[in-house]
Amino acid sequence: MNAIEAVNLGKCYTRKGLGAPTLFGALTGGLRGKNEPFWCLRNADFEIPAGRTIGVIGPNGSGKSSLLGLTAGTITPTEGHVRTHGRISSLLELGAGFHPDLSGRENVFLNAALLGIPREDVKKKFDRIVDFAELREFIDMPVKHYSSGMYVRLGFSVAVEVDPDILLIDEVLAVGDIAFQLKCLDRIRDFQKRGKTLLFVSHALQTVEEFCHEAFLIHHGRLVERGDPGDVILKFVRAYMGEGGGLYTQEFGTRAVEFGSVHLLDADGKDAATFETGGALTVEIPYVAHRRIEKPVFGFSLKTGNGMYVHGSNTQIAGHDIPFIEGEGVLHLDLSPLRLMHGNYFLSLAVHSWDHAEQFHRREDWWPFAVRNPGDDLGVFRLDSRWSTPV
Amino acid sequence: MSGLRSILARRELLWNLTARELKQRYKGSALGFLWSVLTPLFMAAIYVVFLRLLARGVPMQDILIGVFAWQYTTQCVMGGMTCVTGNANLVKKVAFPREILPLAQVCANGIGYALSLLVQFPVLAFLLWRSPEAGFAATWPLFVFWVVWQTIFNLGLAALVGALNVQFRDTQHLVGVLLSAWFFMSPVMYNMEFAAGIAQQWPWALDLLYANPMAVILNGYRDALLTNSRVGLPPAAWIGFALVPVMLAAGLGLYRRLQKNFADLL
Repeated sequence: MNAIEAVNLGKCYTRKGLGAPTLFGALTGGLRGKNEPFWCLRNADFEIPAGRTIGVIGPNGSGKSSLLGLTAGTITPTEGHVRTHGRISSLLELGAGFHPDLSGRENVFLNAALLGIPREDVKKKFDRIVDFAELREFIDMPVKHYSSGMYVRLGFSVAVEVDPDILLIDEVLAVGDIAFQLKCLDRIRDFQKRGKTLLFVSHALQTVEEFCHEAFLIHHGRLVERGDPGDVILKFVRAYMGEGGGLYTQEFGTRAVEFGSVHLLDADGKDAATFETGGALTVEIPYVAHRRIEKPVFGFSLKTGNGMYVHGSNTQIAGHDIPFIEGEGVLHLDLSPLRLMHGNYFLSLAVHSWDHAEQFHRREDWWPFAVRNPGDDLGVFRLDSRWSTPV
Repeated sequence: MSGLRSILARRELLWNLTARELKQRYKGSALGFLWSVLTPLFMAAIYVVFLRLLARGVPMQDILIGVFAWQYTTQCVMGGMTCVTGNANLVKKVAFPREILPLAQVCANGIGYALSLLVQFPVLAFLLWRSPEAGFAATWPLFVFWVVWQTIFNLGLAALVGALNVQFRDTQHLVGVLLSAWFFMSPVMYNMEFAAGIAQQWPWALDLLYANPMAVILNGYRDALLTNSRVGLPPAAWIGFALVPVMLAAGLGLYRRLQKNFADLL
């Protein structure tokens, strides 16, 4: 059975906005030129079977939150429709509907009523809600005196403890401190185990990959891709963040030397996007030197999808001296055996003069790639580790 | 009909929002609920003194009934106006039948009105005990009917201004002005006897006054409670009487039509 079904779903706004309207504006609207329509979501057709966890990814402003709003029913579609089966709880905004003057206790009941939970059920679950939020001693305090962390913790507790069939989450998993975040993620896993449906929007690609059965990629209001989270994320990263996308990438340099079309090669020497931990990864770096350059230095760096700097080095440090370059040439960078673990990574390349005075060309975060770990070891990096029993 | 069912299904939410409305109104003020009684009492006193100064006598009990009832309607209008815009966060982020918002406003104000009557009646009894010509009429069930009738009217008004205020923020300014004008066009601080005295030259003005639903309701209250009030329902007053359900249908109808855009406009 499907938990969520959308048929030709679309939402249109006008570019000038519908906001803060005035009577004057309505009367003179015709005189002030045409209001261009702007589709923040269009032609979205999908069905989500019950029990699935779907991650929605895409660049900022691509229509992800509109999709959630339409599913939750807070936004009315301009065309098409969306049907949901079962009780929906939405974490579109934690603590939406909390009233600052009311106590935490009163707000729990109010918020539960908003989500459509009978008072009797809330009474039974009240202790669990309060314990989960770790707010027992503050529950009778007006929420206006709560810290922002306490506020969202209570909101999260209510939304997950009321036992919905469908949970919509909009970028709100990063709640509270690390301990509470882990608790939240635990609760989400528990949800999945009990066969509930989750639809969640996130920019934390690693989280999407870790939690979701399937990922939706939305761009310019279109559902452009759906499928295995790893594949969709890689497509997203390649299309919108890596080469050509130019969203997060940067390029510098005097261009006395320029990189050509760089390829990431697997064990068979074939151009690939996904590599295995412990396997081969060779970077083929063609370049053009527009003049003779004495003792150039080529460097590289690797970052995770979350921006953590993993490793960086260059030919100078490695002791690979290049006497000079002129015209076209190719350099190989061998990273085998690959020590990176499961996840998405960005490769940056640079070439500069021996004394670092002149940067010829630098492409930051230009080449995204993914790593899959066929083994069972965990973490972000594979260390050389051996066990032994001293005799 | 489906709307009514969905609201019934969410009656706990209605009750919660009503309770929230009442709590926030009286929390943080030292006199709390007393204000909803003190305000109309002060107003009644002011009108009495003012009218005495003008050497125009309107019985104090008439003014008292008028002022308390008028406060019920103005509170519903003012509260209804912000019932959607003031809950923008809720409307944008949570799905629930939107009709509950003006309904909760009217419920909260209705409860406030009912409680204020607990003060109004003893004061009224005292005034009538001292009054030589007026007494307590035995037709109080009719009073209950007029409370219901006024509530229906208020709900229509609250939904109307609530929805309009989302569409046009001018509403709040306009409504302030219209409420003042309406106050003087309704027999709040005067009664029909007084109005008839003034409107001797223009009998149509008196008909116009009767066609005002608020006048019909206020006269209804006075007829129900005071032995010397005998306005009844002259032909023109039937218009005002019938305008009450019309207002409800128009207000809720407009609210329903506009609600699909609420989240976009807030």
